[in-house]
Amino acid sequence: MSSGMNQPKLSSYDVVIVGAGVSCAMIAKQLGLAGKKVLILEAGAAIPPNNVDFMQRFYTTVAKVPESPYTPDLFNPPGSSTLTDPSTLNAGRPTVLTLSQKTWQNPNLSYLTQDGPLAFGSTYERIAGGTMRHWLGTSLRFVPNDFCVDRQYHQEVDWPISYDDLSSWYGKAEHEIGVSADIGEQEYLGVTFPPGYSYPMPKIPMSLVDQAVSSAVDGMQFFGIPVNVTSTPAGRNSQPYQNRRVCAGNTNCIPICPIQAKYDPSVTLNQALDTGNVEILSQTVANEVVIDANGRVSQINYIQYKGQSGPKTGSGSISGKVYVIASNAIETPRLLLLSDNQGRLKNGVANSSLLVGKNLMDHPLYLAWALMPKPVFGYRGPLSTSGIENLRDGAFRSQHAPFRIEIGNEGWNFPIGDPDTTTVDFINGLNLSGLNTAGSGGSPQALSGQALVNALNDKLTRQFRLGFLVEQSPETSNCVSLSSQTDHLGLRRPSIKYDLSPYTKAGMAAAKQTADAIFDKLKAVQFTAPADPTDPSTFMVDINGKPTRLKFFGSGHIVGTYRMGTTKENSVVNREQRSWDHPNLFLVGSGVFPTVATANPTLTIAALALWAADTILRKDLSS
Amino acid sequence: MSNSPIDLFVGLSAVLTGVDSSKLAPLLDPVDIKQTYFNFVQGKEPIAFTQLLGIFQQNQGQDPATIANIIFNQSGAAIKYLARSIILMWYLGSWYEPATLQKYNSPNPPPPPVPSAGVISADAYTQGWAWNVAQAHPMGYSNFTFGAWSEDPPTLADFVGGNGGQS
Repeated sequence: MSSGMNQPKLSSYDVVIVGAGVSCAMIAKQLGLAGKKVLILEAGAAIPPNNVDFMQRFYTTVAKVPESPYTPDLFNPPGSSTLTDPSTLNAGRPTVLTLSQKTWQNPNLSYLTQDGPLAFGSTYERIAGGTMRHWLGTSLRFVPNDFCVDRQYHQEVDWPISYDDLSSWYGKAEHEIGVSADIGEQEYLGVTFPPGYSYPMPKIPMSLVDQAVSSAVDGMQFFGIPVNVTSTPAGRNSQPYQNRRVCAGNTNCIPICPIQAKYDPSVTLNQALDTGNVEILSQTVANEVVIDANGRVSQINYIQYKGQSGPKTGSGSISGKVYVIASNAIETPRLLLLSDNQGRLKNGVANSSLLVGKNLMDHPLYLAWALMPKPVFGYRGPLSTSGIENLRDGAFRSQHAPFRIEIGNEGWNFPIGDPDTTTVDFINGLNLSGLNTAGSGGSPQALSGQALVNALNDKLTRQFRLGFLVEQSPETSNCVSLSSQTDHLGLRRPSIKYDLSPYTKAGMAAAKQTADAIFDKLKAVQFTAPADPTDPSTFMVDINGKPTRLKFFGSGHIVGTYRMGTTKENSVVNREQRSWDHPNLFLVGSGVFPTVATANPTLTIAALALWAADTILRKDLSS
Repeated sequence: MSNSPIDLFVGLSAVLTGVDSSKLAPLLDPVDIKQTYFNFVQGKEPIAFTQLLGIFQQNQGQDPATIANIIFNQSGAAIKYLARSIILMWYLGSWYEPATLQKYNSPNPPPPPVPSAGVISADAYTQGWAWNVAQAHPMGYSNFTFGAWSEDPPTLADFVGGNGGQS
């Protein structure tokens, strides 16, 4: 931290940024290098000197969910099984544990208040480094048609920018993050690269799981499109890069890479701080964006606190020439809606379109798991090294949502929490995994000694899973608003309404059919659990005339709530990510996406942030 | 064969887990997880643990299957479920209370998942055998190197010692 007192050093800055995640990191570094003075307000904890505390928290927690290494603590007291009451937290956040059937609508357990009808399934972090602290590393570009789905397929909405507009920014983002990929493999579905371009590092090698899927699946056709397995571009080192090590295959990208071979935004934030022009205030919650009589932002008010549930220690305001809100697609609309400017702006800031908080999207994820006929030795390598990308675009997009397929290297860890579940099964004579059926009449066995070793080895080495990231269509009825529930600072928490459209559900159905066909081709035995009708993350859909219940998971890809567009009526920001209402206000991050498409969003977030930094330097701070 | 309590515990653990004692308690053992576990179980279940070690001491000349049969089928529920807790501790680094395991093994078990009482320590997690038995490594604790995942792992015997699970 640049200020031991956690106070601004200057009375005014060139740029004030709210939220120290990836967008902020990208922008702050560029501005700092250009000699501009930047102040960052981060709601959560500061960048720690190393990741020892994160790793210790991860190793010793039973529930190794994506949020487990980070603060605030999931349980209170830590180590207990009592979830922390979000009204006691100064900077709370949703966690996987607060999205279950038992917790999702309990405001004493869940930071988000959820009105349904379906449960929103994604989470985020409030800590320096942001949600990318626990990202997977997938660094795919969008494909060109993702930017014009309406024009091509009469679905959803077009972006005000094209792939060609974003292409050079993708390249810059790939070098900031440090992406390992093979350019030849990435030229598909119209994706192009400028002559002479290369990724910073060679691709990550395919796992044995990938190789097995590839050998059976390559050449299969779905919706008339032949498919093949390709290695996934990853923000993870295949060579030393930015003073960070190569990946050692810890199989732990989510929640944390123990050796920081996977990029996270603290890398770029530290580079920003090293310019001497950037300061971060941690445990500093922005609570109002103040608009002056000319419609410009004049200051941002904030509250400071000590300890995750400790007292307020002060409040203040800070001004700059330009303001950037870079929280995320739930916390940014929350701040805009909280900023009613003493009732002068009853709909909040930047909201003349009334679209702030609307069009909340995610990638509803269809998860399917199976046993291969032969060992593929999962639980090794990065969590995912390859995928099937061919179905991200095609004529079928006029009928149902597209998807990408992620091949998992972590056995059944995601589906059933393995190896724990299967291990308990075989030691205690249970069958929660579905795998323990070799006793008399199919009953479970309780094993020990060499029989236990052999049984677990046979099952665990053959496990694998596929995840289908389905594009969710934008709907204004899916939205973030302000809850009547508050946090420990007295600020209203986010409230969520969430559903899936028929177009999206049809994409989920197509994903399920694709999974079934792939498993058949692999001669793999499927164990995907039937969807539980009482689970709020399930829905009914027609598959070949048969009503079928499907379960979806959140992907952590929170998108769309302050979208960019062509007019001040159809969007919150323009193609520069500048508020239509307030010319010195930029809103960045995945909230600007008009559509979520099928690529994991981080690379596009980073590319757009670099573009915004360039715009700010060229247009707003040029003098 | 030494009859010190810690040596009995390692011998018992090898029979229960199927992992060779030279792997559970290597000659050079800076982590010394066996002592952590011994102290932990001693603190949790002092009476049953002493009984279990006694049963092993009396029968340690027998073959592993015979010892296992005595522990799991001839020594009562307290010994049987403590032995299962000890296997799970070695495999997952977490403690599952014997009483919990017994409850989930009943005709009317509580709803899943089977709750663990906690990870014993950071070292316990990183020394977990479930991953080694899968010819892999605990998630978040790898001693392998770049690209190892694209090739076959070492043999099962390399991980668990002895005959690699083959009886």
